[in-house]
Amino acid sequence: MKKRIVVDPITRLEGHGKIDIFLNDQGNVDRAYFQVPELRGFERFAIGRPAEDMPQITPRICGVCPTAHHMAAAKALDDLYKVDPPVAAKKVRELLYNIFFIEDHALHFYFLAGPDFVVGPTAPKAERNILGVIGKVGQEIGLQVIEVREKLRGLMTLAMGKTIHPVFGLPGGISKPLAREDQQKFIDTAEQAVRFGQFSLKLFNDVVLKNQQYVDYIVSDTYSHKTYYMGMVDDKNKSNFYEGQLRVVNPDGKEYVKFPADQYLDHIAEHVEPWSYIKFPYLKKIGWKGFKDGAESGVFAVAPLARLNASEGMATPLAQEAYDQFYKTLGGKPVHHTLATSWARLIELMNAAERMKELANDPEIISSDVRVIPKKTPVEGIGIVEAPRGTLIHHYKTDDKGIITGANLIVATQNNAARIAMSVDKAAKGLISEGKVDDGILNMVEMAFRAYDPCHGCATHALPGQMPLVVRVFDKDHRLRQEISRG
Amino acid sequence: MGLGNELFSDDAVGILAVRKIAPMASDRADFVETSLHGVALLDLFIGYRKAIIVDAMKTGRFPPGTVVDIVPEELEPVANPSPHYTGIPELIKLARQLKIEFPEEFKIVAMEVANTCDMGGELSAPVAKALEQLVARVMTHLAK
Repeated sequence: MKKRIVVDPITRLEGHGKIDIFLNDQGNVDRAYFQVPELRGFERFAIGRPAEDMPQITPRICGVCPTAHHMAAAKALDDLYKVDPPVAAKKVRELLYNIFFIEDHALHFYFLAGPDFVVGPTAPKAERNILGVIGKVGQEIGLQVIEVREKLRGLMTLAMGKTIHPVFGLPGGISKPLAREDQQKFIDTAEQAVRFGQFSLKLFNDVVLKNQQYVDYIVSDTYSHKTYYMGMVDDKNKSNFYEGQLRVVNPDGKEYVKFPADQYLDHIAEHVEPWSYIKFPYLKKIGWKGFKDGAESGVFAVAPLARLNASEGMATPLAQEAYDQFYKTLGGKPVHHTLATSWARLIELMNAAERMKELANDPEIISSDVRVIPKKTPVEGIGIVEAPRGTLIHHYKTDDKGIITGANLIVATQNNAARIAMSVDKAAKGLISEGKVDDGILNMVEMAFRAYDPCHGCATHALPGQMPLVVRVFDKDHRLRQEISRG
Repeated sequence: MGLGNELFSDDAVGILAVRKIAPMASDRADFVETSLHGVALLDLFIGYRKAIIVDAMKTGRFPPGTVVDIVPEELEPVANPSPHYTGIPELIKLARQLKIEFPEEFKIVAMEVANTCDMGGELSAPVAKALEQLVARVMTHLAK
């Protein structure tokens, strides 16, 4: 019988999605703070549970990126049992992971960022929504987004089971091989996904890059920080979402360090601030120098823009073409403009679609050799993947029966927390003057963090289902002057 | 559709209700459990004519354990939605605008809950007590 220690319930969330803006005598911004709700308690929740439950439990932490948690957990179990999955198992995992990337990036671009870039940041609020996006780009495109996502999700269910209880990644491989008769479905959908990626990049070119006002927003100093960037790369320093080493480049774009997953604690430490429950990761050997950019400060960024900056290119041709155009248009590497993240996201979508096509066509993808049975006694395991929102780290320690005695999770939003806080502060300072704060200005302040797609998925799912966000403006005497809540 | 998250106490109530209902009414409906939210839910409704969502809600306007029937139109004035986050009403509008095959009839059966924040916690006492009532209410809708 498995031993299970009962753990008391733990409060999961501290803080709210909250922006506090403090004005000075002139009504300009003295300092703005953005608080991300932090998921708490998971580490304690995991203790006493069998490690092999983690790929099933961790996806349920978050309704936004269950597949990223599932995959990070499966990789942590490979490492825990010191077992190397067969090549075919790794390929199927990577195939499914790229499918997840396409559907998640499509969701973000069209439905979350779209209102800013397609409809426009200062458009009337009533139009700045998903319906406004469809109104601008046309019904056909909306249908195409839905159709592609539906097919991709269908393939994920086919291979992984239901997303709420994924039964797929196991220590040493996967639960079942891909069926020969299903391979063609993956190939057909991959081709559609590649066309969809090309179409999305063209749309970005036509709607965003040909509109000088949008380009001005992207390259404005208000939305830029010269920080370090981290992302996973393959052995040729090309971006990879599933496997590789973590590469960090400095604000000049030069490699600062490259390290495998098991060395993350040598390079990443966490800083605590009195005004936020979230811990702010920073580069340990450079040190925490406050919310500052520049080579002297250990603040780093993750997610699409950071991944492009941290790599020496994309591993697939069409994505590489778009990567070259990206840096040519925005003035060379690295790009420090936060709002360029949406473009970077589409380049990654292209990359994921092309990689999906390569893997779907790989004869080995239907091999039945997909599992190595773990035999070693477990001690400690670390699994890292690039989640759509940035680097995701799972780290477990167990007793010799595989029961968890310690767990550490660093999620993408947390890795980005310091830079997000800087972005909100800088945007508020750049956009608010003489006490003038209206909905349009606040939306542009929100754009500063929305580009990172900070994950509030761990916030309650209870109705009405909106992201809870409160913006409070305080005067020079710290008296609440204005409060706007969303959700 | 049972909506919620099993890991977080009362947030599980919709999923637990659907799990009880499914064996009793498998001839009348398909049953889905999900922790997804926002526009990602759209995919799950495509192809159906009628949908019942069973969910937890936290409005502070009812005692925990109260079961409430909501039609999506009533949800609209509840929140001041961010243009970037999509709730059920926006989902329905989107589907109608795109003319996709989507439920024409939507019902939301929600239970006011007490605690959605405790990871690994059991249902709170009033919610656990009212679970059967939630099941019965959904069964009534299914019988129609």
